[in-house]
Amino acid sequence: MANFQNEATAKKEFVKAMEVKYGKEWGSNQQNDDIQATTAKYLRLGTAQNPRKMEMAKIGAEITKKRGLQAYDPMLHLAGIPLGQRQLTPYTLSGTDIVCDGDDLHYVNNAAMQQEWDDIRRTCVVGLDLAHETLEKRLGKEVTPETINYYLEVLNHAMPGAAIVQEHMVETHPAMVDDCYVKVFTGDDSLKDELDPQFVIDIDKMFIPEQAAQIKASIGKSTFQAVHIPTVVSRTADGGQTSRWMAMQVGMSFISAYHMCAGEAAVADLAFTAKHAGLVEMSEMLPARRARGPNEPGGLSFGHMADIVQTSRKFRDDPCKIALETCAAASMLYDQIWLGGYMSGGVGFTMYATAAYTNNITDDDLYASTEYGWDKYGCGIGKNVAPSIDVIRDIGTWGTLYGLELYENYPTALEDHFGGSQRATVVSTASAAAVAIATGNSNAGLSAWYLSMYLHKEAHGRLGFFGYDLQDQCGATNVFSYQSDEGLLGELRGANYPNYAMNVGHQGGYTTVITGAYTGRGDAFSTNPLVKTCFADDLMNFDFMEVRECFGKGALREFDRCAGERAFVIPAK
Amino acid sequence: MAYTPQYYPGSTSVAENRRKHMSNNVEKLREVSDEDVTAMLGHRAPGTDYPSTHPPLAEMGEPDCPVREIVTPTPGTAAGDRVRYVQWADSMYNAPSTPYWRSYHAAINHRGVDPGTLSGRAVVEARERDMELIAKEQIETEMTCPGLAGLRGCTVHGHSCRLQEDGVMFDMLDRRRLEGDSIVQDKDQVGVPIDRKVNMGKPMSSDEANKRTTFYRVGNVAFRDDAEVIEWTQRIWELRSVYGYQPK
Repeated sequence: MANFQNEATAKKEFVKAMEVKYGKEWGSNQQNDDIQATTAKYLRLGTAQNPRKMEMAKIGAEITKKRGLQAYDPMLHLAGIPLGQRQLTPYTLSGTDIVCDGDDLHYVNNAAMQQEWDDIRRTCVVGLDLAHETLEKRLGKEVTPETINYYLEVLNHAMPGAAIVQEHMVETHPAMVDDCYVKVFTGDDSLKDELDPQFVIDIDKMFIPEQAAQIKASIGKSTFQAVHIPTVVSRTADGGQTSRWMAMQVGMSFISAYHMCAGEAAVADLAFTAKHAGLVEMSEMLPARRARGPNEPGGLSFGHMADIVQTSRKFRDDPCKIALETCAAASMLYDQIWLGGYMSGGVGFTMYATAAYTNNITDDDLYASTEYGWDKYGCGIGKNVAPSIDVIRDIGTWGTLYGLELYENYPTALEDHFGGSQRATVVSTASAAAVAIATGNSNAGLSAWYLSMYLHKEAHGRLGFFGYDLQDQCGATNVFSYQSDEGLLGELRGANYPNYAMNVGHQGGYTTVITGAYTGRGDAFSTNPLVKTCFADDLMNFDFMEVRECFGKGALREFDRCAGERAFVIPAK
Repeated sequence: MAYTPQYYPGSTSVAENRRKHMSNNVEKLREVSDEDVTAMLGHRAPGTDYPSTHPPLAEMGEPDCPVREIVTPTPGTAAGDRVRYVQWADSMYNAPSTPYWRSYHAAINHRGVDPGTLSGRAVVEARERDMELIAKEQIETEMTCPGLAGLRGCTVHGHSCRLQEDGVMFDMLDRRRLEGDSIVQDKDQVGVPIDRKVNMGKPMSSDEANKRTTFYRVGNVAFRDDAEVIEWTQRIWELRSVYGYQPK
């Protein structure tokens, strides 16, 4: 896959993406423009210029006829004036050669995007050590590698929804739940070597040696289960269902595998230790005013999101690439699904997120700003400059001016990012992440974010929609605060952090900044080694290593790792 | 009530223009009749009375209130007008004004206004007759080039789009266009056809727009060339950041 490595390559790929978008005909939009010209022909061809729009119009008309009720009709856009008064242009998924229509990046139209969220929501990590202690000390059971292997066999039968111990139980059909499984991981090499490899996430195999050593040292001798419940279950209920479903099947599997009494009081002790005491959800519950259970995106910290993405395992020497893949994953989830879906509902939020991961614009800005910082301060992976106001101001200003002038020098980039909110997010993300990469400090990066917003507003006399005034004008005064309800380490902030909870176009950017900090340090993980290891697993349906390529496959309707489909139990067409 | 001029750093023409907009020291360039302004705004038919949401204040028997005694109502408030809006889109290709400077102009120089500032548009809401005065002021002065700015209540995209080949800012709803050497508008802010073609006058030449703009961009006045503005912005950021960092 493409790995830009440096600013020169990133610039070349940015220009290429602009030429694909504006210099070549797409559908029949009759476009062949100079990407640096300040004028363009506006042919007002409407939706007829675009095959995807025509497909949608045709199917919309068929639906209207079939059900006898109005459905999609592009002429209803505004009093008979459809979209397409300008050229309808395609999008290159950044870091790839995949080109698609914008519509195919709406999560409803993109199975890969849905699967990214499915795979996060249906996952939890559960410790085994406390359960084993309870088995040995409270119940007098012997725990050995052999018993653990047998327990994991039982558990991988039961976790998808199969019956265990009891008669008269119904079961889920395995064809409906084939994405569900449990693996284990540990920092204890001797235990790992005695476990059946089918059940093990082998840290030494999944991470480069330096990272593996760091992760194993962080986990220690403890053992954890990486649990992925069925996608169809998670979709039918909510994120809170993940740990509930896990807990029921884990408890019953212990009873079965260790031949326990199903009713004695000691089982309550096991239930607590096995199901709850060692549980790590991907995200926290939200307070009542935004009431959601755990494992919903509003409670997902930026640090966990950074650790869910796996690009760092393969591209340690390219912190920009790691940050940009994380940027895509986080922007899609936080903007398109969380704020766009859960909190708002609708269509427009897609365009905020896509600006961050299409057409190599954020890429160009980030590689350039990172190179500036590294060259100026003699930095490299694991070789950071101490964060200070002077360093933040210098790299943050340089990156912001570079990003703004990119729009001024390339009118097509300005047209692509048609709203200031998109531009503000992209420029701030890149300049702030570059500061984080150089300093290895997430809060220094976030500070640069606010400097960038201030400079942007003064330069262009505009910023984003109202919300950018809200959080981006006041952010500097709380970015370094660690007082309760005001501040935290960037890694522990998240979508429900007080100053960050309201506005689209930010949370994915913040995650990029947080990612920059750990990748700049050359660390194996950002916040939680358990989360990083849990997702270091090729059996996951979504590809958390190459996020943007995976989105592209979804856009091209080539993503074939979908789960939770109902085709097996519904009438075949 | 008298306002003192507002100050803004910078030594470039852009900074100077920003100061002019803020202090309402702007040159009148064209005449557009009150009826034409009303027609383009689209809130009421030209020549009709202002619809009201309450009786005139003088007839309402307001309670004793020291604030009411201090603050003289605006004409629109005194008459009980509805609150209505004027919304602009300004091109990033050196349109004279920018959203923040339209908002600053309205908020600093007029009372009873509620500006909203976005990237592609700036909306000012006020009692209808008060709003019309602000709209007319912005339409007729150097704050506006009719080719590079537009009255747009909805479908505001265009500010960041490349210009049309004739140098006019793109408008999906084609509310106004270049006819001969002048811009004419025949739809209201939300694209509903009106009963006239309003002549908005000649668009600015590119040299004139470059001279009058409040927008920094390379090829004219680059932001990086106005060191004083950058330094003040950095200073404000630094002071706010340091203030917020109080580990106690």
